[in-house]
Amino acid sequence: MIEMVRRFLRQRFGSAAIVTALGVLALMTGAQAAANPEGALGPGILALALVAAGSVSRDVSGGAIQIILARPIRRASYLFGRYVGILIAYGGFLLVASGFGIALRTLLPRLFGAAGADPDLPAFARGIAAGLANALLFAAILLFFSTFLRGYADVLALFVLFGALSALPTVAAQLRKADLARFAERFRENVLPEVDWSAVLRGQRVLGEATGRWAVAVVGFLALAVFVFSRREFTYGQD
Amino acid sequence: MIVVTQLSKTYGGLLGRRVKALDGVSLEIRRGETVGLIGPNGAGKTTLLSCLLGFLRPDAGSVRIGGLPPDDLAVRARTGYMPERLGFDRDLTGGAFLEQHWRLAGGASAEGPREAAAAAARVELEAAALGRKLAKYSRGMLQRIGLAQALLRDPELLFLDEPASGTDPNGIALVRNRLLEAKARGATIVLNSHQLPEVERVCDRVVFLSAGRVTAERTLRGEASAPRRAMLRVPPGRAEAACAALAAAGFAAAPEGDGGVRLDVSGEDEIARAVRAVVLADVPVLEARASMDLEEMFRPGGSA
Repeated sequence: MIEMVRRFLRQRFGSAAIVTALGVLALMTGAQAAANPEGALGPGILALALVAAGSVSRDVSGGAIQIILARPIRRASYLFGRYVGILIAYGGFLLVASGFGIALRTLLPRLFGAAGADPDLPAFARGIAAGLANALLFAAILLFFSTFLRGYADVLALFVLFGALSALPTVAAQLRKADLARFAERFRENVLPEVDWSAVLRGQRVLGEATGRWAVAVVGFLALAVFVFSRREFTYGQD
Repeated sequence: MIVVTQLSKTYGGLLGRRVKALDGVSLEIRRGETVGLIGPNGAGKTTLLSCLLGFLRPDAGSVRIGGLPPDDLAVRARTGYMPERLGFDRDLTGGAFLEQHWRLAGGASAEGPREAAAAAARVELEAAALGRKLAKYSRGMLQRIGLAQALLRDPELLFLDEPASGTDPNGIALVRNRLLEAKARGATIVLNSHQLPEVERVCDRVVFLSAGRVTAERTLRGEASAPRRAMLRVPPGRAEAACAALAAAGFAAAPEGDGGVRLDVSGEDEIARAVRAVVLADVPVLEARASMDLEEMFRPGGSA
């Protein structure tokens, strides 16, 4: 699996376009984090999408998957290698964005003769941890979609899932279908659970209902990804 | 070693057109044997190879390699594979690519650089090429590095899909020599290729596939090898004399324009005996070659 992680990181950071885009996003996120470390670093889904997009599907469409799977590698190991690779890459992004945020928070005011603000490292650390916790779920969802969708459709599917699950309870309420609205709300809470990581990271509601649903969702999406990928066939022609 | 039993595979379905790529294919490949898969485009060769590698699941039938399913890790640890479509990580350098596959094949990391250099040398890739990204490689260089990765750790099983496709004559000879080396050390090789002369030079047996079925098999080497067609070339006007000498030596020979003499021989040793018979009749032999005429298998109504 380590080799698969290494391969993923090489693929992602071997592309100048991705590195540049991540750099710009890190600057933007860092600028926001300078003012609100926990709030800005937590939801960085755009950078995660950039890191994780097509993580499996690109290997499949490019034909690289065959020579990898011809080696003594379990499909699950390949998949978890991609997953861990996404998290490491995203963790790196959060660190760089935090670095920018801390620099902006402490150094920028000094350039203008003012006193630098307190770097508030614990808040940055909680922001990074919250970002990684969110990434555990979003990366699992992206990985699941990437096992059967083509190209970068996994990212599109994630946003569609977001949109649909957010809109469904509202639509059901508008239609005055109370049962449907309740079901849609419960479904959204279980598929995309919202956890108050700020509270959890301060030791509050660590074993609460939301964290339980979040853990089940992470494991569920990963299990689905392994199931779909282990059953998938690979060919590049019918010759 | 490899036992394929009544293998069937159909693509498509639901709304798409259904294509039966394999239709009850049965095949046995012995340990150390080199088998060529030949047949027209769409015959099912790549599908068969994909089933042998465990990339495709058959609708019916089974594949067993040494008694194990093809995707068993113990099988994979002994397998080298070169695909026709070289979908490598183009952002990697040649050296990094080979090192990565060395490690994936179970090799120690510390030995990676040395083994990558040795693998590149085996396929006559310059050392400088290992520092370049695969995106900058020519088609021929990609073929070579593809072969190099397949041969890493001297696999017992080699599956090669058009290994010399798009290469120059030097590349073709190189692929042949590496395959003959692998064969000499006892590897079991399954070769899918349209390059019939190369198939004939390397393979012990050919399996002809057509419309998803095995329609013919020919043994090229060994005691059970099929009769070959030999062609001798003698000076123009001496073909009749050569035919007479060959007839006296027990060969069925017929002249073929411009000093050519065609005869059937049961094996390679027989060609030497035929040449000797013609020379003893005072007819110079300018050229002698033997061929299985595998192209004949492609012709409608041929031996396929």
